[in-house]
Amino acid sequence: MNSFGDNQKQAVMQQVRQEAAMTNARQLIEKVNEHCFEKCVPKPGSSLSSGETQCFTSCMEKYMAAWNTVSRQYIQRFQAEQAKGAAGGMM
Amino acid sequence: MDSNSSMDGGNIDLSKLSDTDKKELQQFIVNESQKARIQGTIHALTDTCWKKCITGAIRSNKLDKSEETCAQNCVDRWVDGTYTIVQHLDKLRTKGAAGSREMF
Repeated sequence: MNSFGDNQKQAVMQQVRQEAAMTNARQLIEKVNEHCFEKCVPKPGSSLSSGETQCFTSCMEKYMAAWNTVSRQYIQRFQAEQAKGAAGGMM
Repeated sequence: MDSNSSMDGGNIDLSKLSDTDKKELQQFIVNESQKARIQGTIHALTDTCWKKCITGAIRSNKLDKSEETCAQNCVDRWVDGTYTIVQHLDKLRTKGAAGSREMF
């Protein structure tokens, strides 16, 4: 009984984590494509050239670097504001 | 997923959970929701700050120093903006509460 409930609980958690990861990946892909298409394919031709493909991979890695920088900075600020006192809570 | 999970297809009978399990699950959901919300904000912020800070063509797969600094400032000023808005809104609200009942 106990292990049955435990399995159920673990299963729910697993499912929630997976959905969160999927949402995160989807949001990232959407944004990378939006911005990198803009940067790398100024005039769409009949196929993606090797230069455009190269640009896409660089751009993607750069976007992820930007994401990490923003994430680090935001979380740092978030924690600083929380440490500052009860004034926060609306971020 | 683990092989012995009995809930494939999303049919999970939560009513069979003990109260402690329910509580733990509830806390887990609260935490995950907050994580998702913060992650969503970071996606939106990266979008905004990319537009402001990565203005040239893509020449490398890394951020250069000025782009990195710009992105960091972008986040901090964005948060400052949020605070400014909330504070001013609060000021307008207290001032408005004296007289009119208009929302804006």
